[in-house]
Amino acid sequence: MRLSTLVVITSACALALSGCGSKGSAQSAAGSDTLTLGAAVSLTGQLAREGALTKEGYELCQTKVNAAGGVPVGDKKLKLAIQYQDDTSKPDTAAQLVEQFNDKGVKLILSSYGSANSEAQAAVIERNGQVMADSAGADNKIFEKGYRRTFAVLSPATEYLASIVKSIAELAQPKPRTIAFVSADDGFSKTATEGGIAEATKQGFTVLPAQYVPNGTSDVSSALTKLKGQHPDVIVGSVHLVEGIAIMKQAHELGVTPSGGFGESVAPPTPDFVKTLGGQAENVLGSSQWTETVKGKDKYFGTAQQYSDDIQAKYGHRTDYHNAEATAACLALVLAAEKAGSTDPNKVRDALAGLDTDSFFGRIKFDPSGKNVYKPMSVIQIQDGKAVTVWPTEAAEAKFVWPGAKQ
Amino acid sequence: MTAFVQATLYGLLQGGLLALVAVGFSMVWGVMNVINVAQGAFVVLGAYIAFALNSTLGLDPLLGMFVAAAVLFLFGYAVQRGLINLVINAPIYLTLLLTFGLDLMLVQGMNIAFTADFRSIPTSWAGKSLALGDIRIPLGRLIAFGVAVAVTLLLVAMVTRTRTGLSIMATGMDRGAARLMGIRARHVYALTFGLAAALAGLAGAMVGTVGTFNPAAAAGYTLLSFVIAVLGGLGNMYGALVGGLVIGLVEAWAGQYLPGTWVNAFAFLVLILVLLFRPSGLVGRPFYASRVEV
Repeated sequence: MRLSTLVVITSACALALSGCGSKGSAQSAAGSDTLTLGAAVSLTGQLAREGALTKEGYELCQTKVNAAGGVPVGDKKLKLAIQYQDDTSKPDTAAQLVEQFNDKGVKLILSSYGSANSEAQAAVIERNGQVMADSAGADNKIFEKGYRRTFAVLSPATEYLASIVKSIAELAQPKPRTIAFVSADDGFSKTATEGGIAEATKQGFTVLPAQYVPNGTSDVSSALTKLKGQHPDVIVGSVHLVEGIAIMKQAHELGVTPSGGFGESVAPPTPDFVKTLGGQAENVLGSSQWTETVKGKDKYFGTAQQYSDDIQAKYGHRTDYHNAEATAACLALVLAAEKAGSTDPNKVRDALAGLDTDSFFGRIKFDPSGKNVYKPMSVIQIQDGKAVTVWPTEAAEAKFVWPGAKQ
Repeated sequence: MTAFVQATLYGLLQGGLLALVAVGFSMVWGVMNVINVAQGAFVVLGAYIAFALNSTLGLDPLLGMFVAAAVLFLFGYAVQRGLINLVINAPIYLTLLLTFGLDLMLVQGMNIAFTADFRSIPTSWAGKSLALGDIRIPLGRLIAFGVAVAVTLLLVAMVTRTRTGLSIMATGMDRGAARLMGIRARHVYALTFGLAAALAGLAGAMVGTVGTFNPAAAAGYTLLSFVIAVLGGLGNMYGALVGGLVIGLVEAWAGQYLPGTWVNAFAFLVLILVLLFRPSGLVGRPFYASRVEV
């Protein structure tokens, strides 16, 4: 009796602490003076870091919208209330939580972090007649399934590495000749690699065979050892933070020194990249969904710079693009409800489909597949320990340094 | 040829680091018949202790790892005496469930205390390499390899030459008989668990120095420990080292000559092949894998 009691108590404590199980009490859906949004975000597990940044973006949205008096819907001003659940970085859990939101009557959803989670959620959204603003699911496959209820504020996966390749083709002197891609094997990273290879081929670079590594691995030494003998001028990683840091650390250990430098998709703009790598991060190129130099403003967040100052003030760190894309998704839903004059999911969906607005995130307008048609990508470079915009040149904060990262 | 030598060397060094992560897990399983699912969390906790000592006191992780080991030893001893010992006579699934719960609490506790930010312990030496022509030998991994070998040799010396070590082995072989000989099994178990936690602390400091870590990394280290312990075999202090080196080499060679995404599948294929021909692992003793405690 004593043993079983102990195990039950320990397991119950563990589940409570880990956020498993029911993950919070059910709340009533939209009250008469509340606009309720559901957000399953990755607060634990492999994507907890990016998930935390996403949650910050959603939280700031709620704070600023409510500080402005709420969302004008019809003749009322509704307070914005976002309900959070932890999807533990697992797509099936992320999808189940959307289902739970639906059961509770929450029809308007903010996406989880990452393509795998968002893709799993999008299928449920479509079936349930919910509506989702996608903040971080970039894989092009999400937009090729004919879904009509998922709207992404961010650029698709194919643009991540293509933008880095374009910046090198346009600005690098001397122009490199060979490019090698190291890619994680998840859907998003592979799609991003396909986009990078297509652009590099179009720009006349010699593209070496892509090296694929397991998603989430911290050991990319085999891929780098293979590339070392092929002497690429540039190594571009289609990776998340863990693999991105591993590329830089292990390239340093193994003496892999491309004459041009390194570029990586998601990792460099994340603050942890510089914090963990220190000087090894210097001059690495990265692609970013948003920077402080993006043009445009809106009534809740002002300009990109004002938005960045608000994040800095509220959370005490430099704004990450994961913050901004989350807030932009929330903004799109808020503006759509306002435009629809209703919280009815069908009316909000139609309003999102017709949305065309300026914002701190740039212009937001969706094509029939749900992609943001005006969304450009920026390229950043780590200079003196900070991520600064170097491409497109009209939005550049600093000069493109080339040759870039040297080991 | 250069690529092969480089891959082999890197695989060996990586294997040493993996062995260090797994050695405590293997010992606890071998001696106590407890599968400690919280092993990965202990490793990450060790990394955080070394990180905190480095960032607040500027202590080099080569020294910080001993502090991490000492703290983890006390923690491990207390966890065994106060918690796991209560279910030590129960079927193995109960200890499995208990350590699983402990793992969840530790990982989530670290998430709250340290956030999910990725960290690395900065040093002036870990990222450097010794150059032998075109071959590079990463210094940080070389030191981690040295620590793994030294730890294994010390463990072997302890269990063959010291009274405490002999008590540990005796209790692992037959708890009932050991008790009849006057060995306090409860204390020996706590000592073993504390020692294993201390070794996890050492490994954590090394992992945090040559790589990156956050609380979510714990699950990966537990899985690795499990694979290495099974591959190397139980009941032999060299088991984890042999298992770690084999996994390191197999992954390095597979990565070199096969598509990179096949690495894990190939490593598990080798595990299956080894178990087909040597069910007790490469250097393990059959008794430890099949015994039933009374």
